[in-house]
Amino acid sequence: MGLPLQAHDVVLISGGPALRSFEKFKKASHDKYWGNFIDSALTRAAELKKEQPREDQIVWLVFRPSYTSRSSEDQQDYLKIIEERGAMVGLTPIYFDNKDQLFTLLRRDGSRDKPKISRLEYFGHSNKKCWMFDYSNRVDGGALEPLVVHVDDLEKISGSSFTPKAECVSYGCHSGEEFSQRWRMVVGRPMVGAVGKTDYSDGGMPKLSNGKEGSWVY
Amino acid sequence: MGLLIPIVLVLISPSLGWAPPLPLRTSPTTSQTETPPPASEEEPITATDEEIRKPLEEKVARATLPAAHTPAKHGETDGESWVAQRTMVEDYCGWGWIKKEKESWRQARWIALEGTREVCPLPHTYLPRPEDDKNYQYRFYGSFAPYRAYEPQADVWVDVFILKGFMSLGPAKEEIRRSPPAQASSGVNRFAERGANVR
Repeated sequence: MGLPLQAHDVVLISGGPALRSFEKFKKASHDKYWGNFIDSALTRAAELKKEQPREDQIVWLVFRPSYTSRSSEDQQDYLKIIEERGAMVGLTPIYFDNKDQLFTLLRRDGSRDKPKISRLEYFGHSNKKCWMFDYSNRVDGGALEPLVVHVDDLEKISGSSFTPKAECVSYGCHSGEEFSQRWRMVVGRPMVGAVGKTDYSDGGMPKLSNGKEGSWVY
Repeated sequence: MGLLIPIVLVLISPSLGWAPPLPLRTSPTTSQTETPPPASEEEPITATDEEIRKPLEEKVARATLPAAHTPAKHGETDGESWVAQRTMVEDYCGWGWIKKEKESWRQARWIALEGTREVCPLPHTYLPRPEDDKNYQYRFYGSFAPYRAYEPQADVWVDVFILKGFMSLGPAKEEIRRSPPAQASSGVNRFAERGANVR
């Protein structure tokens, strides 16, 4: 009788949507649909459930403040909808309100309570320098410092929180142009990211935008 | 002669462009309504897909009348104040320039503007479009935030002003022709020559 396999966590992170009051009149208008980063993460969760070892657990982290403010704007209870959609694939969202809370949630020691991370995937707004959880939500066209994971913040994420063969993916725009490389250097695990923009408008998993010579890179 | 006129009219009438004769009952006819629509080869959208992807109606509350205008005074308008001028830069995060009363516009700071819910929204939300108060001036009440905002197009950090109240000062005498900040958000990658953060 062998020892039970060590369980790991698969972490999916959903950033928040922009407010339409900021975006409505722009040429490149973001987030007409509020749930791009929710639906894509849940689509991926359903895929991963078929692939991953049974003992591993999917942990779904959702940036709450942007959904709260978008709820006020659209007069819909999006947090309730998020929880209902999560339940359809057997997931309960774990909310975080700023990047410090995210860093705490990512701090793992391999114990039963804090298993190491075997996979991490991000769905949300980004550019080559950072993940922007609240893009165009509290300020027009930008994101507030406590709600941005900038490349200079990556030293707050320890590589020892991940398994040696952990895989990471950022499905945000332009992550493959610098963020991925800095992640690999600082966190010590490879991260796939996009060169160019990513497009969530067709629903499900994001894809590289048409018309640009984009690619997925490490 | 009087009898000739109607006879001539009858003879030349086809060349006057009257409507062509109606088709006979036996003529083949086609009817749009009788043609069945071609069967779609695409798979029908399931109720679940429809429900998940259906975009919601825009519910942004914004003035729509041409006569809409920013109120002369709104929110908490006491305490320390700044003079601010709305300036719009294509694809650049931020609201415009802000300075103290006695400072020149050369000393002004570029800001991203953050409203305070249920106290003071941003002034341009009273207008049909965000650019409708371009080059207008305001007296702002509030404070600088302890945090900055990230401008993703130019990769810079900009100051954030938290607005508690404002007074409209009307159109500015001239546009501020000064570029907003453009320094990089991060310095040299100090991890480039160091090992990964595995500790």
